[in-house]
Amino acid sequence: MDGSGVPSPPHGASWRRPLLALVIAAAALAVVLLGPRLFDTDPVGVDPFDLRLAGVALVLAGVAMVWGRLAEMRAVLLAVASVVLPYCAWSATPPMLARVAGGRLSFDAEVLVSDVVYLAGTLAIIAVALRWLPERWRPRLRLLGARPAVLAVAVLGVAAVVTIALALPAEPLGRLGIPVAALRRDLPLLGPAYVLQAAAQELQFRGLLLGVLERTMRPAAANAAQALLFGLAHVAVLYEGPASALVPITLVLGLVLGALTRWTGSLWPAIAIHSALEIGIAVAIIPGLYGQ
Amino acid sequence: MGSERWRRALAAVPLALGLLAAGPAAATAAAEPWWVPVGLRGEAVSAVVPAGHGLLATAGGRPRCLPLPGSSAPPVCERPAGGAGGATPGGAPGWALRGGHVVRLGAGAAVVDPGSPDLGASARLLVTTAALPGVVVAVAADGTVWRRSPAGGWGRSLLLLPRSLLAGPPAVTGLAAFETSPVTSAVYLATDGYAVLITTDGGDDWVRAAPGLPVGVLAIATDAASRAVYAGTRDGLWVHRLQRIPGPPAYRHPALLARWLGIAALAGLTTLVALAALAWAARSPAASSRSG
Repeated sequence: MDGSGVPSPPHGASWRRPLLALVIAAAALAVVLLGPRLFDTDPVGVDPFDLRLAGVALVLAGVAMVWGRLAEMRAVLLAVASVVLPYCAWSATPPMLARVAGGRLSFDAEVLVSDVVYLAGTLAIIAVALRWLPERWRPRLRLLGARPAVLAVAVLGVAAVVTIALALPAEPLGRLGIPVAALRRDLPLLGPAYVLQAAAQELQFRGLLLGVLERTMRPAAANAAQALLFGLAHVAVLYEGPASALVPITLVLGLVLGALTRWTGSLWPAIAIHSALEIGIAVAIIPGLYGQ
Repeated sequence: MGSERWRRALAAVPLALGLLAAGPAAATAAAEPWWVPVGLRGEAVSAVVPAGHGLLATAGGRPRCLPLPGSSAPPVCERPAGGAGGATPGGAPGWALRGGHVVRLGAGAAVVDPGSPDLGASARLLVTTAALPGVVVAVAADGTVWRRSPAGGWGRSLLLLPRSLLAGPPAVTGLAAFETSPVTSAVYLATDGYAVLITTDGGDDWVRAAPGLPVGVLAIATDAASRAVYAGTRDGLWVHRLQRIPGPPAYRHPALLARWLGIAALAGLTTLVALAALAWAARSPAASSRSG
């Protein structure tokens, strides 16, 4: 069921520059994210919304859009910006809403609004990519043409992920228990919020980034590259709770979701599985103490 | 000579950034570890009770009297009325478990609390917390954690999940809170497998508060006088001195400005380096051969 629909990269197409752009951007973001730690500063206390990441991603993508020399790197740097900018908007929205609404919105409602902002920001950057990137760089998002077979893959994928999550040891995952009272309170608003969040991240990684990379790279290499960035992106949430297992797990998950997206030719199975995982994390992960 | 000056200036940049990002050294102070060993390492401590000027712990079936942490005086253990049989004696001020039912103790006859669940005849763990009047947390015989809201409604609070496909959920071995003195609203749940979980909002949300502690916790007890929580584990006796639940640091204003400038400078410098690297990576082979 290879429904990728993306032609193989033309012989001699330059994959080095997009790959180098991805590596350089990821390295810069990692330095800016973790660098302050070297100086015994918890950046969350100074820059709680990771605006420094947004600044770096915005400048790199902006310069690439206007400087002809970086033309072949535009698409990748735009894809990186689609990961970072909505994330910063997402993390800044709840406190801004609290200030504007003066506490009239519940925390859960604030999170739901922030996930609407997250998806809207992602779609806005994708619109920029589809409008201004040259035809040969334009990614295929694989959002149309959902078939019954795709739905079956999504259902089986969700079942497989739940089974694997229960089979893995609870300790390293933090999969310790179900806080029933909190779920009754939170899921009506946070459930839809997690689905929006998963959809946004799938559009970022398996939609835009994979779609851009596979224009110049072989499928396996493009998939590995997007999965690597997907895993590294989760370093940003390592400050909270027992998340040490998160990076390798998300790396493997990124590989699987990328392969599934290419195989089915649809982004929807990845969105369904990712949504199930986000909700599963809310249901079964007991957070640890901040930073420990 | 000129290039040497440049090299020195470049070498000074990271140092300056470090000084800025670190800010005044006194801005943050390292907190005491969440759990600190008290003694009996290598032994399973099945019960612990603060007993006047000492700690009465049971290890290897034998009661031991240990000095209070930080005390140089010889320990004197006054045997508590209920002995050292367990951290939670199956009752709390005004409340008790009778045949698996939660009863209110008043001036007259004890009455079953309306709406309370049947916890099973072997249920023995129940606590209240003085900081949250009306809240009761109790553990059923099957391990389900129940809680009573201040308004009187009962509901499931927490279901522990299996440790893996082959192992069931860990046993709940203790429940503790500050029942007579409103020191903190926290309720501490000890488990033989997931260490200690705490709730500070009467059983809605749970956090794993276990850094440093062995995962097998067999007993737990609080001591309002020393503002401490004691945990008997499969590897000795541990103490947690009450401290604020960790969160992002709140730097004092001058330190915040210095750190913010440092982080912004680091982000700016990194962006410049990344742009230079992108420009280098984007150079055409022809240009590189000309310059070479």
